[in-house]
Amino acid sequence: MHACWGAPAIIRGMGAIAVLAAALASPVADAQGFAAQWMMRVTQAARTLNYSGTILVRQGARFDTFRLAHMFDNEQESEKLLSLDGPAREIVRSATEVRYYFPDAKVVRIEPRTIRNVFPSLSPEQTANLAQYYEFKLTPGGRVAGRITEMATFEPRDGMRYAHRFWADATTGLLLRSRLVNEKGDVIEEFAFTDVTYNAKLDKEMVRPSWTSVPSDWQVTQAGPGEFKSNDTGWTANKVPPGFIKISEGFRKLAGKRDPAAHLVFSDGLVAISVFVEPYTVTQTQIGLTQAGGLAQYSTRSDAYRVTVIGEAPPATVQQIAQSVSRNKP
Amino acid sequence: MKENISRLMDGEVEDAEFERCVAELRSGEAMDTWTCYHVIGDSLRGAHSIAVHGVATRFSARFHAALAAEPTVLAPPRERIRTSQPATFAWAVAATIAAVTVVGWTAFSMVDVPPNAIAKAREAATIRAAQAKPQADVASEYLLAHQEFSPAMAIQSGAPYFRAATVTAIEPQRRP
Repeated sequence: MHACWGAPAIIRGMGAIAVLAAALASPVADAQGFAAQWMMRVTQAARTLNYSGTILVRQGARFDTFRLAHMFDNEQESEKLLSLDGPAREIVRSATEVRYYFPDAKVVRIEPRTIRNVFPSLSPEQTANLAQYYEFKLTPGGRVAGRITEMATFEPRDGMRYAHRFWADATTGLLLRSRLVNEKGDVIEEFAFTDVTYNAKLDKEMVRPSWTSVPSDWQVTQAGPGEFKSNDTGWTANKVPPGFIKISEGFRKLAGKRDPAAHLVFSDGLVAISVFVEPYTVTQTQIGLTQAGGLAQYSTRSDAYRVTVIGEAPPATVQQIAQSVSRNKP
Repeated sequence: MKENISRLMDGEVEDAEFERCVAELRSGEAMDTWTCYHVIGDSLRGAHSIAVHGVATRFSARFHAALAAEPTVLAPPRERIRTSQPATFAWAVAATIAAVTVVGWTAFSMVDVPPNAIAKAREAATIRAAQAKPQADVASEYLLAHQEFSPAMAIQSGAPYFRAATVTAIEPQRRP
């Protein structure tokens, strides 16, 4: 369908592999290339277009609106996200860092940018899993934010994951609406542009922070998820749902914590689930299940360790993984 | 469930609820209810009904199969147009009265996909809502470390960062 769309060579190369794989084999392989290709097209659109708009985010019963401006200039992304409801939150992403401004708390949090610049990073195995564990369909999606869309549906073939519906601009490929649907058919999380403008002309002002420098009475917190050492952690999750494969493993320094945590990431090609293992201390946040929209987190104590699993998956899935974490048998 | 179906037929279902109602139709039982209500409505309005025994069942089965193959595109117009004509029908009431009288036999004969196998499977996969705390105190540190890895998040503009903005747990860090 969309073989090349002006993506960097490495991504076109990956697309070509997907197309080749599709051409070689069965209708299943055909569909699998198609789903992965669609994901890549939409990912590329989100990265490489210039646009601004208003975004509505619904998580359960909660609504939030944001103003977003995104610019792609000289192969670099910059982005500014401003919350329009409640306390002001401003998130500015540049090529090298992400800054979170919390003006009410007088805090700015600065993080180096690390992983996302290599996306899309679907391995051939993930691409295959995407087709095996979700039924993919592409249909006309009607209008969203005044634009004609195509709707992609990822329907799970088992109860271990959520259904995803994506509406992308039929012309530009930009994702304009997405819905996460649970096993009961409830929309548990929704993301939607209510208006979108594609900007032919770049305006750097739109993606600059509102504060040219950090006010002197603000607290600056730095680092965070940036520090990551890829490594064999000695931990493993024994009951990971079929289709989820480990895509990352290492030790990570989490802000505000003394000891680094083991961090394992599993993905089925559409979503990711993270496993954290760290020494148990009494001051840590609570044990148990928490949920925010499509995101579930389950924390449990395992002897001297605390295991935390977080991901866009049903609570039962997250809980099952958490309870299966153990030391690797040598 | 039956109430939802009648509300769905009356166009009284909000957009947010719509997905769930349509998903409910995927169970054989709900599909039969849907068909049954239509048959009742047709009968009460004196329209030629499809509810000849057997035909309705086959229709129901075919419709069910077709629906199962659809990515939920059974979308009614979003805005409901209220007219002064008595076009909207009180389905719930009709169902209550008529189901046991006029076409009661039809309704029962159509229930040819009995068990709640699907519902059972779903229940098993669902943790009771009471077990989950309603709103985010998902610890931001884990979220921030996790979010970069999700393909589904990567295609959303501004995401995964809006998640960080909506998580209430982001507080000034204690200095180590």
